[in-house]
Amino acid sequence: MTRSSANESGGVTEAKLPGRDWILLPMISLLTICILAGSTELIARRMFRVSNTGMRECLRPYDPWIGTLGVPNATCSEKRAESPIVVDYKFDSCGHRAGMECGPKPPGTYRIVLIGSSIAFGSGVPREMTFAALLPEELSQRTGRRVELYNEGLGFGSTPEIIAHNFDAVLSEDPDLILWILGPIDFMAPPPVAHGSGLPGAAKDGFMAAGGGEGRFAKVWRHLKEAIATRSLPLRVWNTWDDTRTSIMLQHLMYRDQSQYVNSYLKRGYTAGFLSADPSVQWQTNLRQFDMSAGDLEGRAKAAHIPMAVALVPNRAQAIMLSTGKWPNGYDPYEIGNELHQIIASHGGTPIDILSDFRGVPNPEQDYFLVDGHPNADGHAIIAEVLAKELTSGTIPALKALTPPQTVVEGHR
Amino acid sequence: MDTASFEFVTFGLAVVLFSNFSRSHVWRSFVLMAATILFLGLLAHDPIVFLPLAGFLLLGYGGLVLLERGWSRSMVWSILAVISVYIWLKKYTFLPDGLFIHSPYFTLGLSYILFRVLHLLIEAGGNSNRRRISLGPYLLYTLNFTTLVSGPIQFYDEFAGDQFAEQPIALGPRVIGLQLERIVRGFFKVNVLGMLLQTVQADALARITQPSPLFPKLFAAFQLVVVPPFFIYNNFSGYIDIVIALARLMRVRLPENFDRPFSATSFLDFWNRWHITLSTWLKTYVYNPLLMVLMRRISSVSLQPLLGVFCFFVTFFLVGVWHGRTSEFIVFGVLLGAGVSMNKLWQVWLARAIGRKGYRELTKNPLYCAFGRGLTFSWFALTDFWFWADWKQIDRVFTSIASVHWLGVWLAVWFSATLVLAAWEWLRAALLSIETSDGPVFTSRYARAVYATALGLAAFVMVVLLSQPVPDVVYKAF
Repeated sequence: MTRSSANESGGVTEAKLPGRDWILLPMISLLTICILAGSTELIARRMFRVSNTGMRECLRPYDPWIGTLGVPNATCSEKRAESPIVVDYKFDSCGHRAGMECGPKPPGTYRIVLIGSSIAFGSGVPREMTFAALLPEELSQRTGRRVELYNEGLGFGSTPEIIAHNFDAVLSEDPDLILWILGPIDFMAPPPVAHGSGLPGAAKDGFMAAGGGEGRFAKVWRHLKEAIATRSLPLRVWNTWDDTRTSIMLQHLMYRDQSQYVNSYLKRGYTAGFLSADPSVQWQTNLRQFDMSAGDLEGRAKAAHIPMAVALVPNRAQAIMLSTGKWPNGYDPYEIGNELHQIIASHGGTPIDILSDFRGVPNPEQDYFLVDGHPNADGHAIIAEVLAKELTSGTIPALKALTPPQTVVEGHR
Repeated sequence: MDTASFEFVTFGLAVVLFSNFSRSHVWRSFVLMAATILFLGLLAHDPIVFLPLAGFLLLGYGGLVLLERGWSRSMVWSILAVISVYIWLKKYTFLPDGLFIHSPYFTLGLSYILFRVLHLLIEAGGNSNRRRISLGPYLLYTLNFTTLVSGPIQFYDEFAGDQFAEQPIALGPRVIGLQLERIVRGFFKVNVLGMLLQTVQADALARITQPSPLFPKLFAAFQLVVVPPFFIYNNFSGYIDIVIALARLMRVRLPENFDRPFSATSFLDFWNRWHITLSTWLKTYVYNPLLMVLMRRISSVSLQPLLGVFCFFVTFFLVGVWHGRTSEFIVFGVLLGAGVSMNKLWQVWLARAIGRKGYRELTKNPLYCAFGRGLTFSWFALTDFWFWADWKQIDRVFTSIASVHWLGVWLAVWFSATLVLAAWEWLRAALLSIETSDGPVFTSRYARAVYATALGLAAFVMVVLLSQPVPDVVYKAF
């Protein structure tokens, strides 16, 4: 074939192309694109099904000040594209996915109030499998005390500023310890509020929102009009592609492999900037902003005489780098943890380092949803185990283990 | 820009557009020179880094001028000087470190420039009636951006015949369509197939060294043998597809570098189909002269077939050594040389044992061809370990499972390659036998439109939408 094409292209003159081919060939190309794109999306929709209803029905409209609380006492089910199971989201009378009722703590109980965003919330994972559910059991076993955990994790772009706005509610729960769980995405600037969605725009590591009740055609038309009006057509095209099941299917296939995923993730520029050994100006600004919010929260916790522990859960790319001990020049998966440690300690809080524990986690890429990026049930089990180990190691005197902590983390699957 | 990236293709197509503003060879040469300077400027911003390359080119040109002025005795010295400077600039590890320039400088494409310069020197030294080559055409020929990074290695007369022709070769819709389809195909090979295969290879390399049960390790070993040849093929031939098509759109025909190498039924045949321009160059300037010299000195008829065996070994040993500066490539060269010389020896022995007619008939036997194809692939896959891995990796890979298990893996590779490649040959022949009056259906422009669109769409999704990292062109390192 290669030879024939070379031969065909040899002479000084060339045979004319039939007139019909000027129409036919572009039509064939167009038809090929339509058939390929359509059939791939159909296959992807069969392989990666989602439920028609989702968590959205259980949530109050997004408020840039207080975030997205759940509707009190609401229950919703959701099947995400990447998750093999339907996950129930049950909210208590205070609008939290706490797994218990809000109110005064029982006597003799050590109460931890968990704050944070989607990782703390347990996005995409049944509540009983989240670290929020597993951690108190683990701590009770290790310390011999009765430990309970009230989960006020919010998700949906719950920035430190939003957490600060809700902090009085946290203090009112009478905690013995406030545990703040962060993911790298929590250091980023607040996500823009998506028009008409009632939820902040989904970041790459954030939620994949389920479809709403609006008709597909109407939705597309509305998005197109908005995009033209705001001159954000390329971004909208990009988001539309990102929302297709084809995109999820292909990313799912591509992101299985450790090295491929890390290489691909590091190409994301700003999003991957926290892995840089030398953080960019934008990331330094993010850290300064976080420093202010953390100072505010820790000051208020200190005034209420409540200790506050802060831990950073690595994202998938970071966990792979930590586990394998390999990363390209110019990157350092520990850098953001070091920055966090300094910030938290400078305000009198207790930094909990769990990044080092991921060195002992084999194949951590399997502990996250490949595309969505949140920890899956296996990931939550690991987080519970490493948190329990670090919290009972003596950093929080009230939770010191009866026996010395054991090495993490084998056989969690 | 020095890979088969989206930017490189866009740059190439922009040059094509400018080049075709006029059919005049002066204009086309001006555009090619400007594009080459721009291309080099995009690869390195500091002009100082080009000084060693400029010195190398001037050395070659100086030698050429001397030869063109009748100093034919300077040929050997010119060649030796050029090769020595090349070895020095490439920092071959057998030279003491203190000899090298330690500030960074530009060497991309130097190996390919070496072949072009040596070709000019040898031709000028051997033929006093040749037309003189001035500095402009010399630089255009040696630095041409379409062949700079990884070849193909073109002879000067072929280049000049098209580049400086008063009446350039045709460029109509058919040719443009074919070349665009070839660019898409090449882009897909490098950026999608190559990327996927590289991922599988990296994954297998990680798995084979991790503690795990035997079967997953055997599978990883199998993948490590089978995948690299396909990765290298897609990576290199895809890049070559792109540059050949770009050059053709600029009305220059570059020589083909690949001809379905995995269809080869012997290792000798393989090297007629893989990196064709390199093996052709070495056969022209090493194998043939060496054989002639030896045949003149050793007149024994019974020994003459063995001289061919020896010359093949030397030629392909040089092919291997050319690929890199470290000791791994010496082993690579030995294995390549051993492969072709054993193949030649087998041919000689078989022809003596069953007669030339019997041998010819045997080589047409489908079963013999199928097993030969499988064995050729397996040997090439073995040599590839010294091509892509360093000693540390080779040690880790080969000690990860027992020798007897490796033997099983190699047998599995041989039989699998035999079956799969035979099935592919059969399928290809069957598909190409479906014909209309215009020729095979699957090579018609309508079929090409379908698969070029499909491959283009897949490449666009992978590279642009999914932002998958583009693998480097492996052969640019040499």
